[in-house]
Amino acid sequence: MATLETDVLVIGGGATGAGVAWDSALRGFDTILVDRADLAEGTSGRFHGLLHSGGRYVVKDPVAAVECVEENAILRQVIPDCIEDTGGLFVVTPDDDPEYGDRFLEGCAKAELPTEEISVGEALKREARLNPGIKRAFTVPDGSIDAWKTVWALARGASAHGARILTYHRVIDLTVEGDAVTGARLRNELTGAELDVAARFTLNASGAWAAQIVKMAGIEGVGVIPGKGIMIAMNHRLVNTVVNRCTMPADGDILVPIRTVSVIGTTDIRAADPDEIPVTQEEVDAMLDDGERLVPGFRDARALRVWAGVRPLFQDEKAGPAAADTRDVSRTHAVVDHVERDGIGRFLTMSGGKLTTYRLMAQDIVDAMCRQLGEDRPCRTATEHPPDNEDGELYTLGSRLRRREANMQEEQLICECELIGRRKLEETMRRRGTTNLDDVRRSLRLGMGPCQGGFCIYRAAGILHGVDRLTGEEATESLRGFLQERWKGMWPILYGDQLRQARLDDWIFQGLLDVEHVPQ
Amino acid sequence: MSHHDVIVAGTGLAGLTAAVRLAESGARVLVLAKGVGATHLSPCTIDVLGYAPERVERPGEALSRVDGSHPYAAVGRDGVAAALEWFRGAMAETYPYVGSLDENLLLPTAVGALKPTAAVPETMAAGDLRGGGEVCVVGLRALKDFHAPLLADNLSRAGIAARAVELDLVPEGRADVNSLGFARAFDDPAFRAEVAAQVVARLGADERVAFPAVLGIADARTAWSELSERLARPVFEVPTLPPSVPGMRVAAVLRERLRRAGGRVILNAVVGGAERSADRVTALRARVGLRDVTHGCDWVVLATGGFASGGLELDSRWQAREVALGLPVSGVPDGERFRPEYFAEQPMARVGVAVDRSLRPEGHENVLVAGATLGGAQPWKEKSGDGISLATGHRAAEVILGSAVPSEPAGASR
Repeated sequence: MATLETDVLVIGGGATGAGVAWDSALRGFDTILVDRADLAEGTSGRFHGLLHSGGRYVVKDPVAAVECVEENAILRQVIPDCIEDTGGLFVVTPDDDPEYGDRFLEGCAKAELPTEEISVGEALKREARLNPGIKRAFTVPDGSIDAWKTVWALARGASAHGARILTYHRVIDLTVEGDAVTGARLRNELTGAELDVAARFTLNASGAWAAQIVKMAGIEGVGVIPGKGIMIAMNHRLVNTVVNRCTMPADGDILVPIRTVSVIGTTDIRAADPDEIPVTQEEVDAMLDDGERLVPGFRDARALRVWAGVRPLFQDEKAGPAAADTRDVSRTHAVVDHVERDGIGRFLTMSGGKLTTYRLMAQDIVDAMCRQLGEDRPCRTATEHPPDNEDGELYTLGSRLRRREANMQEEQLICECELIGRRKLEETMRRRGTTNLDDVRRSLRLGMGPCQGGFCIYRAAGILHGVDRLTGEEATESLRGFLQERWKGMWPILYGDQLRQARLDDWIFQGLLDVEHVPQ
Repeated sequence: MSHHDVIVAGTGLAGLTAAVRLAESGARVLVLAKGVGATHLSPCTIDVLGYAPERVERPGEALSRVDGSHPYAAVGRDGVAAALEWFRGAMAETYPYVGSLDENLLLPTAVGALKPTAAVPETMAAGDLRGGGEVCVVGLRALKDFHAPLLADNLSRAGIAARAVELDLVPEGRADVNSLGFARAFDDPAFRAEVAAQVVARLGADERVAFPAVLGIADARTAWSELSERLARPVFEVPTLPPSVPGMRVAAVLRERLRRAGGRVILNAVVGGAERSADRVTALRARVGLRDVTHGCDWVVLATGGFASGGLELDSRWQAREVALGLPVSGVPDGERFRPEYFAEQPMARVGVAVDRSLRPEGHENVLVAGATLGGAQPWKEKSGDGISLATGHRAAEVILGSAVPSEPAGASR
């Protein structure tokens, strides 16, 4: 069996794990990042895209609020290409208590979160679709953040500093020698081959799946309460500013404009298993009603896709009883020191947290590792830029179109919705060496626009077949897999124009191409 | 207010079939349509019934076994046969079709499935691979909507000896040319000669030659037969992603027939409401630009399409409506509307307007419904879309032509 050696093994390829790998590689540690699937395929790729100002937490969770205030400012500097400066509004809807606004302002002052109360008229002028019945409005520096871009930028940055990124490598066991974790056994999920990693240190950044990893070290009593949240992407930017309900955090109270869509979120439902989080029709209905409260006419707008993510809310039996509502668990993070807690060394687990604070979380866990190793290597992620973020320019909505317009007739446009040209697509397919069109989707946003791959996915399957020299069987399997994956996110919201689109897509994939009956 | 014997709403295959059949029988016909029809999306192979749910070899026989709520149950096997015969006659001169209800042909799709279909344009007929064969698939690299190597690979897996040849010809020097752009290029004899010259030397003796369905738009017959001659082998077209060149050819033939028979077409006319007298519609209101225009009529053929074309809509509270006249829509399930597996039979698939045997919706004496607006079928899964449109469009015309009762209340102005 092959054995890899490294200083640091990072488990989990979400924003936290990629952030840890970037941090660790920047400090000069030889680093390996592993994930059982593709990067950002778990919680990071399934959130609403909100770069928190901290406003959401100022009343209920002041520590989390302060972290957000600081990290929001840092991320705008270090990963500007992943962030759009949309700004944010907290609005008191007709159903909310106007006095919460005063508590909100007090909380903002304590957290040093810059905010300003503006008149209802001014708020409606800025966001014409907002519910005209709102009673108060406050500005905050919310933004939107592209999780895939972020994770890929961090992973590429880590690679550039020598890290190895092993996607589709599942940890099937941790190696425990004496009172320390000394590495892990991995299984390549694509080939079935197993390999060992010998590591000086292992960092568990697997979020909602962290308890499963901890158990492999023979440690009991650490649990994760998977808090399921559903989100719906609407086909248009119904607002250009992040809109939050100014109330205690509840369901369906955030609308985030990101890229060409806006995303409403979210719910918080205790789930039994982080891998079993189906979206129900009732949840969709409730979310649409919540949207209606923020933006009247929401139900008449076109929904694009719905998905669920799962928060990594920790429950440590040694620390106290579980919270009744997953929303009452603090959104701050903590490094679980397994030496102190369990007498197991060279192994740390990140618990809790949220995407906005991924950098701080990475810093904290790598700092803790350095302390245990007795090495003094300062964190550099607050000032270093990962690739494509060096110019300091924040992402703007028209940037892809601007680049495309320069060479409109020089190359084929494969995905019209997301403006993806053939060269970029082929280059990404080659770089990633993947046979999976869904991986390409996450890297490029291929097939994520209004037609949900209706036109580009047959093209991409044909191109992938050529670029990767796939067999017809593999290419067709990839096409079928993509169709199933997109259907999963579409069927619960199929009404109005999106049903119309889905029927056109059925026409193409069933009536015209008959993908179902290509030989298996 | 103008007055017409028949107003046809919609200009897809169903609407055009009804309009042409009626106009050529002497009726004064007005077609109102929002835009060009779904012909421009459809490969315009006449898929009558391909799966039920196993693959259908003899569509004529299988027709008699469809469920009572299926549109074919209203038309009947003889009605479908009559429609197909009429259609072949209508297309014969310009863009002939081959095939019948006796046996389904098996034609390759652009991804390499073999799709059962009853009748196809002669430009596609050599693609019938029921008896096997050797195929060389010619691809055009600048056409992103057709991938020859993938098609050939999958055909090979189905036991057909197939391989791909790709050409780098680029009309007008553009990197991104869609199927219509290539079809215009193939109208040019010089372009065809260049294609033939690049392909002919690379062909095996027994190979037939597949092209994307872009072999000419103005005169496809000439383009196709000339290529067949130059290559000295059977040549056939395989439909591409939309826009559909074969669909445009069909629409052009039928539109021209309609024009010659005195029928009128108004596009950008969105039908939204009617004037009624008891169970009869006496006029349709259509929005043209910013104006509402009312057109009087004795009969209405409603062929505005299903959910894909906007003839039917479903709102976020799962209420379905027929958009033009507000006809009752049936079949929306109370419980599960969709299954989580994409290729499963979907409970929503059969939603549409329910009609009686003469295609009348409940409570409407002189309105007939044709095409994808009708419920009871799952056109793309069972491969019946264009078959239903053709059969019901034709049937609607027959009902009107065969109506013994005077078709209007006495005294209606003309």
